[in-house]
Amino acid sequence: MGSWQVWLNLALNTLAMASLLAMLTIGLTLIFGIMRIMNFAHGALYMFGAYAGISAAHFFENFWVGLVAAPLVAGLIGSVFELSLLRRLYKRDPSSFLLITFGWALALSELTRLIWGSNTRDVQLPEFLTGVLWVADEPFPMYRAFLIVFGAVALLSLAFIILRSRLGLLIRAISQNAEMTHALGVDVGVIRSLTFAVGCGFAGLGGYLAVPLITGYIGMGSAAIIDSFVIVMIGGMGSFIGSAVGSLLVAGTQTFGNFYFPDFALVITYILMICVLLFRPGGLFGEQE
Amino acid sequence: MKASIPVLGLLAAAPFVLPGFQVSLLTEILIFALFAMSLDIQMGYARMFSFGHVLTYGVGAYITAFALMNGWSVPAAILVSFVLVTLLAVPIGWLCTRASGVAFAMLTLAFAQLGYAIVFKWNSVTGGSDGLTGFVRNAGPFGFEGFVSREGFYWLTLIVVAGLFFVAKGFVRSALGTAIVAVRENERRASAVGYEPRTLRVVAFVASNSLAGVAGSLHAGFLLFVSPEILHWMLSGHVIMAVILGGAGTLIGPMAGAALFVLAHHQLSAVTDSWPLVMGVLFITVVIAAPKGLWGIKTSLQSVFSSRKEKRMEADNVTP
Repeated sequence: MGSWQVWLNLALNTLAMASLLAMLTIGLTLIFGIMRIMNFAHGALYMFGAYAGISAAHFFENFWVGLVAAPLVAGLIGSVFELSLLRRLYKRDPSSFLLITFGWALALSELTRLIWGSNTRDVQLPEFLTGVLWVADEPFPMYRAFLIVFGAVALLSLAFIILRSRLGLLIRAISQNAEMTHALGVDVGVIRSLTFAVGCGFAGLGGYLAVPLITGYIGMGSAAIIDSFVIVMIGGMGSFIGSAVGSLLVAGTQTFGNFYFPDFALVITYILMICVLLFRPGGLFGEQE
Repeated sequence: MKASIPVLGLLAAAPFVLPGFQVSLLTEILIFALFAMSLDIQMGYARMFSFGHVLTYGVGAYITAFALMNGWSVPAAILVSFVLVTLLAVPIGWLCTRASGVAFAMLTLAFAQLGYAIVFKWNSVTGGSDGLTGFVRNAGPFGFEGFVSREGFYWLTLIVVAGLFFVAKGFVRSALGTAIVAVRENERRASAVGYEPRTLRVVAFVASNSLAGVAGSLHAGFLLFVSPEILHWMLSGHVIMAVILGGAGTLIGPMAGAALFVLAHHQLSAVTDSWPLVMGVLFITVVIAAPKGLWGIKTSLQSVFSSRKEKRMEADNVTP
C-alpha cells in the first residue's frame, strides 16, 4: 500500500466521519442561531434517537424504517420539551438554557437506559451495505461510502432549504433580528419550535447512522456532545458552513491523528479549538464580537 | 453571620456522636461545598460561566497525590497544590477571558478536556485510566499525627473549608470584590470609572480556581485515590448544578446546594439506580420555578416575614 493510497483511505474515512459529525452539529448550530441556546441535551437526543431507530428497525426487520423513525422520535421529543419547558425561559438570560438543557440531558440519558437497558445494541444492515468498495485497489467499507453520499445529500438539501426557500429566509431573518422579524408579522414562536424540532431530528438521525460503526451504547451521547461543541465553536456558533467545515477539520484531525500519533489525536483536537477561539472568539465563520 | 458559630460548633462536635461512615459523608459534603463555593466566586459574582471548573480541581488532586507519594505531610501537600494551581490559573484565566459568554464557557471546557486527555493518555506519570493509588496521609508537620485518622482529616477539612469561606466572604465584600460585581452589572460604566474589566475577570477566575484546587487537594487526601474521572466534564456540570440549586452569588447558598446534592446522591443511589433522572427533573424544576435557588427561596420568605413584622410594628406605632 503506497503512501498516497493510505492518504486516500484516510481522506475517505475523514469524509464518512465528518458526515456523521455534521448531522449532529448542523442541528446544534441551527438551534443556536435561531434561539441562542447551546443545547446540552443534543447528545442525549442523539442516543435516544439511535435507540428508538434500532427498536423500529428490529420490529419491522428493516434498516430503512429505523432511518425514518430515529429523526421522527428525536424531533418529537425535542418539540415536547420546547413547547412545555423551554418556552417559559425565552425572556431569561441565556445561561438558564445551558442549565435547563443540562438537566434535561441527565434525565433523558437515564430514561434511555431505563427503557432499553444497559446492553449495547446493533442493527442489521441491508445486504448491499455490508460489502466493500474497491478504491484504488484498497477495500473501503460500503457503509462508509453510503454515509458520505447520504450525508452530502441530507446537508445539501438542508442548505437548499435554508438558503433558497421562504422558510429558510425567515429562519435567517430570526437569527439576525428576532424582534424586527416579529414586528413584520412573522410568527416567531412557530418557526422557533419548528427549527428546534428539525435540529433535534438531525441529532437522532446522526445517532442512528452512527450505530453500525460504533454500536449503540449508553454513554454514546455524552461522548458525542463534547465533539459537537468543539466543532460548533471552531466553525462559529450559528453558522451553517462553519459547522460543515468544523466537522471536516475535527474528523480530519482525529482520523489522521489516530493514524500517525494515536496518543495525541484528542489533545490536538482541543488545542485546535483553543487556538481558533483565541484568535477568533466567534469561530471561523461566526459573527465576531 | 450569627448562625455561623453554632453551625461550626455542631460540625466540629459531629465526630464524637456520629458513626464513622457519616463522618466520611460529612467530609465529602464539606469538600464538595468548598468546590461549589469556589465556582460561585466567578459564576455568581462575575457571571462567568465556567464549564471547566474540574480542571483546577483535578490538577489540585493529582498534585496532592504526587506530594503524598513523596512523603509530604497533608497540610504541606494542600499548600503546594494551592500555590501551583494558582500559578496555573493565571495564564489559563488570561486566555479564557479573551472571550465572554458562551465562548468563555466553551474555552474553559476545552482546557478542562485538554487536561482530561493529557491525564488519560500520560500513563507513565498519571497512571492513565487506572489513576493513582497506594499513597497515605503522612504525619506532620513536626510529626503531628492529628490529621491522619478519618476524624482528624475531617477536622482538617472543616478548618480549611470554614477558613476559606470567611476568606471568600471577605474577598467578595472587599473593594476588589465589589469592583468585580460592578463589572458584572455594567462593564462600560465600570471601565468609564477607571476599572480594568479584563484584569478584574482574571482576578475572579484565579481566586475561584485556586480555591477549587484546594477542594481537589482535599478530595485526594480524603479518598487517597485519584483517577481521570475527577477531570470529567460531567463533574463540572454537577458542581454547576450545586451552585444553581443553592443560589448563585451568595457563597453560602452554593454550599447548601452542594450538601443537598451529595445527600440526594447518596440517598437516591441507595434506593434506585436512576438517581440522574430524579436529579435532572429536580434541577429543571429549580431553574424554572426558583431561578435564585433554594437560598433565594429562604431569603424571599424571610423578607415576607420581616415586612409583615414591620407592618405590624408600624401599625402598633400609629395606634396610640
